Amino acid sequence: MRHKKIEKWLSDNIDGELPEKKKKILETHLRKCSSCSSYAENIQRIHKEAKSLEKLEVSPIHWEEFTSRIKTEISSAQQERLLGAPLFLRWKWAWAGATLLFVIIVGLFLYLTKNKTPQQVYVFSFENSLAKIYQEIGSDQELEELFNSVILGSIGETLEDSEWGERPDFYENLILWENLTEEEMRFLESEIKKDNKL
Amino acid sequence: MNGNMADFADDHLVKLAKQGDVDAFTELVRRFEEKIYHTILSLTRNQQDAYDLAQETFMHAYKSLRNFKQRSTFYTWIYRIAVNLTLNFLKKRKKDEKREVQLGDYSLDVKSATSTLSPEGYSMKKELSEKLKEAIDSLPLAYKVSFVLVVSQGLTHTQAANVLRCSENTISWRMHKARKMLQQKLRPYLEGE
Repeated sequence: MRHKKIEKWLSDNIDGELPEKKKKILETHLRKCSSCSSYAENIQRIHKEAKSLEKLEVSPIHWEEFTSRIKTEISSAQQERLLGAPLFLRWKWAWAGATLLFVIIVGLFLYLTKNKTPQQVYVFSFENSLAKIYQEIGSDQELEELFNSVILGSIGETLEDSEWGERPDFYENLILWENLTEEEMRFLESEIKKDNKL
Repeated sequence: MNGNMADFADDHLVKLAKQGDVDAFTELVRRFEEKIYHTILSLTRNQQDAYDLAQETFMHAYKSLRNFKQRSTFYTWIYRIAVNLTLNFLKKRKKDEKREVQLGDYSLDVKSATSTLSPEGYSMKKELSEKLKEAIDSLPLAYKVSFVLVVSQGLTHTQAANVLRCSENTISWRMHKARKMLQQKLRPYLEGE
């Protein structure tokens, strides 16, 4: 356990990271412990060898070339930045707008066509019912005459309703006059006189 | 122009670069290109990869400059970018290659190598260097990066912790474990001398 601790201290000592207090304890231990002392020699040697591992001497021309290459790369990067994004990216908002517009149009179209589905118009027709009636009536002449008179009467009523006031025979309707009271007659007379400025 | 730029502190150059001054950023590149390149090279062990990754690091830094709040130094920030890019690259490469050399195989390899060695036949130092490179490469990524930053690049535990966004204790522990692993792998060579 103690040796493991010493080995760690030896490593820190080589890197110059061991506090002075621990350095003294370490030195004392190394004087007594041959295995730790041997380990210390080995790692010291590894450290020296690793430090002296061939460092390639690179000529200044190489570095000049390296620097100028970086400079060129930076210039092209700056130009790219100035020019902005590539053309297709610069149009991205236009594309987004166009897509949005397209979606709106399609949505609107679908909405309108969905609501425009032809409504079923119910047309009431008397044709079928009348045909049945005519069939039944056709066999009975008396019934046919009665039916015709009713129909004609209803047509006449309709005509009378629509042409009320314009009909000159209004005054000639005896049933109307006969049923009026004396008071109503006097009122009508006065009104007629007024209308005709008598 | 460059003469003036060389007099400015990193922070001031960063401010100018943020305002679009390409010369200021170029000066920052000049100051750190070599360190960044060698750090990446220590991790990748491939010059072309290191060159490309170093370039990628600076371009990434330039593009992210607006997001750099200057809470840490530019030096730490650029190291962090470089290390992250390199780690991603190494992870991808590891996946692609499905490395053949594994930890267990390596120790066997070492033993067979020592048994066939003739004491006069080769330089032990050269052998140790080669094996050391291999041993460092075989370390787990987190240990390898910590080791490279502290030993090869001379960063303090605090600086390495800032770059790797971890505590100083973590760095200290990783360094200890990395050394222990390296010592175990290289013991035959270390004892041979």
